[in-house]
Amino acid sequence: MLEIRNLEAGYGPINVLWDVSLSIAEGRVTTIIGPNGAGKTTLLRAIVGLLQPRKGEILFRDRPIHGMAPWHLLEAGIAMIPEGRMIFRDMTVEDNLILGAFPKARRAGVARNLERAYTLFPRLRERRRQLAGTLSGGEGQMLAMARGLMSEPQLLLIDEPSLGLAPVIVNELFEIIADLKAEGRTIVLVEQNTHKAVGVADEVYLMLSGKVAWSAPARDVDLAVLHDLYFSR
Amino acid sequence: MKVMLLRWAVVVLLAYFFVPWLFGANAYLMSLIVASLVIGGVALAWALLGNLGGMISFGHSAFFGVGAYVSALLAINADFPIWLAMVCGGIGALLVSVLMLPTLRLKGPYFAIAILAYAQIFRIIATEWRSLTNGVAGLSSIPSLPAVLWWESGSKISSYLIVVTLVFAFILVYRWVANSHYGLALRAMHESEDATRVVGVNSTLLKAAMLLLSACMTGMIGAFNAHYINFLEPDYAFGGVWIVIPIVAAIFGGYRTIWGPLVGAVVVYLVDQLLFKNIFPSGHQIILGIILVVMILFSPGGLLPLLTVRTRKRTC
Repeated sequence: MLEIRNLEAGYGPINVLWDVSLSIAEGRVTTIIGPNGAGKTTLLRAIVGLLQPRKGEILFRDRPIHGMAPWHLLEAGIAMIPEGRMIFRDMTVEDNLILGAFPKARRAGVARNLERAYTLFPRLRERRRQLAGTLSGGEGQMLAMARGLMSEPQLLLIDEPSLGLAPVIVNELFEIIADLKAEGRTIVLVEQNTHKAVGVADEVYLMLSGKVAWSAPARDVDLAVLHDLYFSR
Repeated sequence: MKVMLLRWAVVVLLAYFFVPWLFGANAYLMSLIVASLVIGGVALAWALLGNLGGMISFGHSAFFGVGAYVSALLAINADFPIWLAMVCGGIGALLVSVLMLPTLRLKGPYFAIAILAYAQIFRIIATEWRSLTNGVAGLSSIPSLPAVLWWESGSKISSYLIVVTLVFAFILVYRWVANSHYGLALRAMHESEDATRVVGVNSTLLKAAMLLLSACMTGMIGAFNAHYINFLEPDYAFGGVWIVIPIVAAIFGGYRTIWGPLVGAVVVYLVDQLLFKNIFPSGHQIILGIILVVMILFSPGGLLPLLTVRTRKRTC
């Protein structure tokens, strides 16, 4: 569904991604793990068009998408749930969700998608009139995920959902990711919690210093071996 | 909904009937009211960009001045009907803002400073292009505003009715933008532009559209003012007063509300002219400064939220 070939990207004079290639299959969960600074978030930002790649190409359903604007990519069906949640704190939970369906083509389905979001995250229904800034960390992450789903994406990129959250909440979030997987969604999950991330994945990529260091189907992954690679720098 | 309609009916009745009826004979008071509405119009246009769009502009004097000059020159040299000339003034300001689009790449104070510097370009053009604008000597005998109903052309009441209509139109535009999908996206953009891009908002286009709209509105008010006072010179039309007073008015009235900038402009200007000016003939603006500081300290949301909080407390 998504093909990344020889991608190079960075910020100003600093290059972050060096020759990254990977492919993401439809209906699967692909996990990208790696230490801080490996370029995982940069990779996602390049996929959704927040960052223009310097070299290489990104193909979505065999169509080149590198260099396209984020709003066009969202219309094409790629949504990101960004690192640090990026919810709109001064707006209500419901307004946050409505904004998730901003592209014109998605506005018609707002009512239906709102209902689905509240069914998936009942806590958000209770807090729909509350300002998003008053939510707890876990609720904020749920809001970010629900907002990402509002645009009915074909490909969902989730960036470090467990960041800064209590283990109980992390378990809850991964159950939801497992549910989304069971619905047959295509998901790219970036995580530092390797144990959880590998558990839910079909395919695992390890990134180190801006390169794909290693990849394997999730069922073949030995966590001990993976951790050795992870810390081998 | 009913309450809102009632409120509108009251405001419209007040504006179109009671004000001309009560004060129409007092030319001095009417001229103050018109001047305050001119400032209110600029404040509304400024707030559309500054409040909804989160872009604090110090450059609205350029739009005001260009709107004024375009409209005045078209009316003087090309005999344009005043209505049409005023619309062209708005379009002129809009074109100026198109040239200003690169400043939107900057954020916060950098945008404010860039647009401030940029606005000076147009004051200099108006000063130096003597063959067209008559330089510092300015333009005089600019054709007056058209007659409205039975009030003759250029009379205080007809001018008042025109500017009040213009300001109401601005309020409607503001409301429409604020309550639309785009208003929601603009509010979201204050917090994080990246986040709005992630949810599929074309933030570049949206900011540009707000700048264009705000510029066009300011230009039309500038054009109105030119035909109202029948005289223009660069230092007046592009003066710092068109930058500062609308900002003061918007903050004073409560720039997060729709009516705030307008109420702020009318109250600030009228109180200043009718009260403080009599007490301190020179340097009365200092009191405005003090009031603004007090307002920011005790009610950062401005005058309107202050009043609504008080009434709510009383009812419960």
